Amino acid sequence: MAASEQLKKLVAELPAADGRGMYTAGMDKAKIEKTIAAIHGGGPANVEGLVDLLGEAGSEENVKPHYALHCLANHALQVKDEKARRGLCETLAKQLTSNRSQSIKAYLCQELGWAGREEALAPLGALLTDDSLCVPAAMALVGIRKGAAEQFRLAWPKAKGSARRHIMDGLAELAEAKSLSVLTEGLKDDDREVRIAAAAGLANIGDPTAVELLVAADKAPVGWERTQMASNHLKLAEHLAASGKQSDATRVYKHLQKSRTDATEKYLRDAAERGLKALA
Amino acid sequence: MSESKKNSVTPSRRDFLAVSAGVAAFTIVPRHVLGGQGQTPPSESFGGALIGCGGRGGATFRGLGHNVRRLASCDVKYKHRVDNKIFYTDFRKVLERKDIDVVAIATPPGWHALISIAAMEAGKDVLCEKPMTRFIGEGRAVAEAEKRYGRIYQIGTYGRFGSNRKIRKIFESGLLKGKKLESVMVQRGGKKVKMWSGMVRYDVRDVPENLDWDMYCGPAPLREFNAHRFGGTHRGYWDYDGGGLGDMAHHALDRLCYDYARDLTSAVEIIPHAPPAHPEACGMWGWCEFKYADGFTFVLDSGEWGDAYDRLKDQKTSESDLRGLLSAEEQKKLDALPDLEPLVKFPEAIRTRRQAGGHAAASHRVSTIYHLANVAFRAGRPIRFDPETDQVIGDEEANRIVHQPMRSPWRI
Repeated sequence: MAASEQLKKLVAELPAADGRGMYTAGMDKAKIEKTIAAIHGGGPANVEGLVDLLGEAGSEENVKPHYALHCLANHALQVKDEKARRGLCETLAKQLTSNRSQSIKAYLCQELGWAGREEALAPLGALLTDDSLCVPAAMALVGIRKGAAEQFRLAWPKAKGSARRHIMDGLAELAEAKSLSVLTEGLKDDDREVRIAAAAGLANIGDPTAVELLVAADKAPVGWERTQMASNHLKLAEHLAASGKQSDATRVYKHLQKSRTDATEKYLRDAAERGLKALA
Repeated sequence: MSESKKNSVTPSRRDFLAVSAGVAAFTIVPRHVLGGQGQTPPSESFGGALIGCGGRGGATFRGLGHNVRRLASCDVKYKHRVDNKIFYTDFRKVLERKDIDVVAIATPPGWHALISIAAMEAGKDVLCEKPMTRFIGEGRAVAEAEKRYGRIYQIGTYGRFGSNRKIRKIFESGLLKGKKLESVMVQRGGKKVKMWSGMVRYDVRDVPENLDWDMYCGPAPLREFNAHRFGGTHRGYWDYDGGGLGDMAHHALDRLCYDYARDLTSAVEIIPHAPPAHPEACGMWGWCEFKYADGFTFVLDSGEWGDAYDRLKDQKTSESDLRGLLSAEEQKKLDALPDLEPLVKFPEAIRTRRQAGGHAAASHRVSTIYHLANVAFRAGRPIRFDPETDQVIGDEEANRIVHQPMRSPWRI
């Protein structure tokens, strides 16, 4: 839907970039808020119209509609207008399957990550296997958090290439027990970053079944993966201890003491020792 | 961002030993071999690395102390000279080196927390430029890593070291517990708000050949290259920093937070005054009020946008004001307590394994103040904050700024 003349007029009232290309002059709070409230009053048609006005990143034509769309999303949150927030996000989500440019779609993902809730989950999830948009989609889903892990789990079997890292990282960050089997699978992946993310996810969940899995996966003799695995062991032990699973935490700390024998790894043995003392 | 000759890489103690091994049959056990608290190193020479070599890099490295030899320099703009021996573009490779004991970090702030944590995970002590973090969730993670690994950590600003510690002593005595403070401290100006704003209209350019743009962006979205996002002007973008607040506020707040024990907790109510914020570019703001559970109020007034702050006046912050809250008997108890020890600076901390004055847990609370301001400015609404959980209360979307998603493979 093309932007109405009234919408164009409202957008034109928003601040222009100053001589340096910045928003440091003419930032009249009351005037901007009044304009955004008027756009808000126009309902879903104005949301679609604003998307239609968006230009490419950095361009003059993009400055005002780009700002307006973000302010509009934020306005719905400020005035706690759930119907408007949901309507706005549904409209943005629909645009993700349009033929708009990648940079505009990435911006829409970003705004869904800002204001979206359950209505944004499936549309963003559908982009997790899209090479060009999996990053903004994954970041938006992690931002939304609630209900987002399911989208990563659904996408995992279909994912290829770098998308697999983003998906495994999303699962690690969201740390849901339902993700245990996918994370376990990730521990054996050929991609180092997928393995590390999977271990981080298992550590974050803090399930006792992760103890043997992490110990078995702790194979890197030196380097980044080895320190990351040690970190994940320590975090797992802390989570286990916090949930009263002292004996499981002890197993993790003792594994570290036995496996980190190099002189330069003394700090890790010390960390494990402090953990054991805290358990006592 | 060019590196001066003064900051150039010098032959390391390890290099020297390697060369001299056939000549002299002596061994200095490096500190990293002994490691740990309570160890007295036979050598007080440390292997060091600088990660982020532009801007403040050289000065930050010198803050490590005169006995730290620079063995490695890492910067994402070193694609043309990277050899993974002295010059690096990927900090992970630097941290894999066992001969490096201490790390100075002077990258843009979007990397500060991640590299700080990774360095401590690798057993290194860390001196990191301010701000310690880009958002609140990172601060807690850095403080946890400091504790988990028993590492020395110092933020690269030193305001608190100038304190006379007398006001701090009143707070640390515990004698103010349960008393309602009416202290108001208004801090005006000095935040470089206009200077460190981001561009909302810009030219997209090709990435310079010597720059690893993907590593520069790191945990932030991989956006198209805009020269203003690179170099000192990175401060104007939420992806990497927090505008003038991110750049300047830690300087201004460090001593105040130490004196008034605001580095032990965080504000519980934050009231912003700013025009609606841009989604990517940091911009203008007027003032922000921070109210603490004990009745203390901080105010930051930018002096660069809108009317000057006039809701509350400075009051009741002097030593005598605070002593005045104590009974005669409590004042006697206070006077009987020993004076606080001077804070430990980084070079001394790494030798003695005593906690540095600007350690991560304290710095997290200091940075939380200006991050909370930015959360409130960006959300465009007052927020209530729980210092125990580091969460905004009852505002799901504001919490998305408190704990921000990162681009894979980066995570805290």
